[in-house]
Amino acid sequence: MAAIQRMPRSPSRANNVAALSLLAALVALTAPVRAHHSVPVNFDQSKEITITGKLTEAKWINPHSRFRLDVTQDDGKTVEWLVEMGAVNTMRRAGFEIDKFVVGDTLTIIGWPGRDRERTMLLRTAVLKDGTRLSP
Amino acid sequence: MMRGVLVILYVVSAATFAHAQQRPDISGNWILNGGKTTFGEWHLTDAGDRRFKAYDFKKDDPSLKCIGSSWTRVWLNPNVLVKITQNAKDVRLQYEWMDIDRRIPIVDPGALRPMRSVPIPMMPALGTSVAWYDGDALVIETRDVAPGYVSTMQEWAGLPQSRMMRTIERLSLANPNLLNINITHVDPANYREPLIVNITYPRSKFELMHYGCDPKDAQITEPSK
Repeated sequence: MAAIQRMPRSPSRANNVAALSLLAALVALTAPVRAHHSVPVNFDQSKEITITGKLTEAKWINPHSRFRLDVTQDDGKTVEWLVEMGAVNTMRRAGFEIDKFVVGDTLTIIGWPGRDRERTMLLRTAVLKDGTRLSP
Repeated sequence: MMRGVLVILYVVSAATFAHAQQRPDISGNWILNGGKTTFGEWHLTDAGDRRFKAYDFKKDDPSLKCIGSSWTRVWLNPNVLVKITQNAKDVRLQYEWMDIDRRIPIVDPGALRPMRSVPIPMMPALGTSVAWYDGDALVIETRDVAPGYVSTMQEWAGLPQSRMMRTIERLSLANPNLLNINITHVDPANYREPLIVNITYPRSKFELMHYGCDPKDAQITEPSK
């Protein structure tokens, strides 16, 4: 359990997705579910995870922007992760330059895992392919 | 006789001036970002408790349809701006969240039938409001609401609002850069005692932005493969 609380940050080593999915499923069995628009209820702020994958969709919208990333697991299987974040207005104010997120680019996302949904997370930091780190 | 009238006019003018002097200057831009929120204890009636327990965030949350479910819910949204403009005859509150534009007439709270605000389009749970100044606070009273939810967030998600709900918001300055919002919900259909919520908004240097919520984007989504 402790080994997957902080995932490897290097894009070449960030593929322990199956373990993370299992963790998310286990947490979902025990976590209370009350609200959609609530970070502590929907995301486990005690665990930080990192995924690296290819950006397949970037939706800059209100009330919640989101990315979809194709992430290759250790077993070679590619799965989709849904990365949620704040409103596009919030992200813009935080200095996120939307045109720097290009579909097809490899991104690393650091954040909190979803409690009740597999392969979801809340973005805390995005690392662009040039190494730029952005946090809302 | 004439002298008496002049004295009365003078007293009324002085009182009006003093009242205007007390009026808090809350105009400006505010944002719930790092501000503090506290909910008082809620004491639900049996019917209120049933509604609270029946709440399902996956289908009952009006914000999934880009709709505000109560004024407390509107104030609770973090990281979006509220712009307040105080005018002589009204006060305007522009909430970035869901692009809610609220213009409330300033009235005499003792008047029998004061002019009320125009309902917010497509958001019947927000009712109609009047406002007045009371010492260092702007007071906003809201009624005529449709059923909704005081909150759809955190452990307060699903606290109900009935048509009987009367909401009193008191806006005052804790200091020039911090706005206090004290909200009292009186709803005998759902609560045995008033529910009190306190929210603080720091002043913001940001400007109001368009929100443009689309219900198809507000839905809960899942990874697809």
